[in-house]
Amino acid sequence: MRKTFTFTYILMVIAQMILSNYFHFTPFAMLTILPAMVLCIPTKVDTFLAMIIAFATGLAVDLFAEGALGINALSLVPVAFLRKTLIGTIFGVEPFEQKENLTIKKYGFARVSFAIILVTAIFLIIYILADSAGTRPLWFLGTKFGLSLLASYLVSIILVNLLSYDDRR
Amino acid sequence: MPKERPVVSKIINLAVFILLEIASLHMLSNNNQLQRLWFARISHGFMAKTWGTTQAIGNYFSLKKQNDELALDNERLREIVRGYEQAAIKADSSMKPVLGKDGFNYIPATIIKSGTSTQHNYLILDKGSEDGVVENSGIISSKGVIGIVDAVSKHYSFAISFLNKELNISARLDTSGAVGPLAWDGISTNGAVLKEIPLQFKYNPGDTVYTSGYSAIFPPDIPLGIAGEAKVINGATNEISVRLFQDHSALKYVTIIENTRLSEIAEIESREKEVKK
Repeated sequence: MRKTFTFTYILMVIAQMILSNYFHFTPFAMLTILPAMVLCIPTKVDTFLAMIIAFATGLAVDLFAEGALGINALSLVPVAFLRKTLIGTIFGVEPFEQKENLTIKKYGFARVSFAIILVTAIFLIIYILADSAGTRPLWFLGTKFGLSLLASYLVSIILVNLLSYDDRR
Repeated sequence: MPKERPVVSKIINLAVFILLEIASLHMLSNNNQLQRLWFARISHGFMAKTWGTTQAIGNYFSLKKQNDELALDNERLREIVRGYEQAAIKADSSMKPVLGKDGFNYIPATIIKSGTSTQHNYLILDKGSEDGVVENSGIISSKGVIGIVDAVSKHYSFAISFLNKELNISARLDTSGAVGPLAWDGISTNGAVLKEIPLQFKYNPGDTVYTSGYSAIFPPDIPLGIAGEAKVINGATNEISVRLFQDHSALKYVTIIENTRLSEIAEIESREKEVKK
C-alpha cells in the first residue's frame, strides 16, 4: 500500500505541475491540490518527514512549473508543520491510534471538507501574499483568495479519495 | 491526537520548519526581483522600527540627565536676567524700592524626597553645606515659594515644606499692596490662605499674590498665586483663599536662595533688642 500511495502522490505532483503550467484562466484564481496532498500523507509519518516531503514537493512544482522559485515550498511547509495538530483537532485521536488514513467514508464528508479548506486556506494566504509582494490591493488579494479556495477545494475533494485509500479494504 | 512528544522533538521540528522556510525565502528573493524588493522593504521597515524604538528607550532613560542640565541652564539664564535687572535698577533709581533683589545667592537643587500627605510635610534636597547651602535659606521654583531650609548636612538639606501648617510667609496683594501672612490651607497641594488683610484695603478676586520682601528669607515680587474668595474674620480682617501657581504634588527641580546679608540683618535686630532692654 505504501507503494500505491507514493506512486499516486508522484502522479499528483505531476498533475499539479500541469495545472500550474496550463490552467491559467484568470489572474483572480489559481488551482492547487498540494495542501490536500500533504494532508493525506499517512498519519504514521511524523512532522519532520512530512515537512521534508512538503518542501521537496513544493520545490519540484516550483522547478517544473511557471512561477517564482521557492513560493510553493514556502507555502507548503507550514501546512506540513501544522498537519498533525489540525488532524488531531478535527478528527481526534483515532487516525493516530488506528494509524488510519483520512477517508470520506470513515470520517465523513463534512469533516474532511473542513480539513481540506483549512489547509488550503493556510497555503493560499502565504502563496498569494508572497506572490503579490505588496503590489496588489487588498480587494484583489481577497478575491483571489476566495475564488482560489473554492476552485482548489472542489478539485481536492475529488482527488483526495485517490490518496486516502483505506488500508482495510 | 498525536502521542505526547518529547520537548526535544518539538524543538527539532520547529528548527527544521524555520530552516526550510528560510531556505524557501532565500530562493524566492534570490530568483525574483519583485520578491527581493518586497523583502528589502519589509526588512528595512522592521529595522527602522527597531532602531526607532531603541532610540526612544535610550531617550527616555536619558531624560533625567537632560532635566538636570535644563535646570542648570534655567538657573544660569535666571542669573543673567537678575544681572539685567540690577543694571536697570542702577540706571533708573526710581525703581530701586521695588526691584531691590541684590544680596541673594541662587543654588539649583533637586528634591530627592518629599511628602504631601500629612499636615507637617518636609522636603530633602540634594544640596548641602558643601554646595553653599545654609539654614534659613528660602526655596523657590519658577512658580512660587516651596519652603525654607531647616537643617543642613554636608550633602543634603532638610527643609520645611510650604505644605506645613507651621509655615507662614509674608505675601502682598497686587492691586492694594496689602500685606499679610500666607499659609497652606491644609487641604489641597495648590491651595493657601492669605490672612490678616485689613478690611479697608481694596480687594478683587483674581488679583495676583506676590512675596512682600518683608522677610529676610525671600526676595520681593515672586508670584505665588491668584486670590479667590474672601471671608471676614472677627469683623476685623479679611481671609482670602489663594490658588497657588505651583502644584506641590508635581515638583522636582527647585532653587535655594540664600540671603547673603541675613547675618547683618540679624545683628541689627539683636542690637535693637539689647538697646530696648
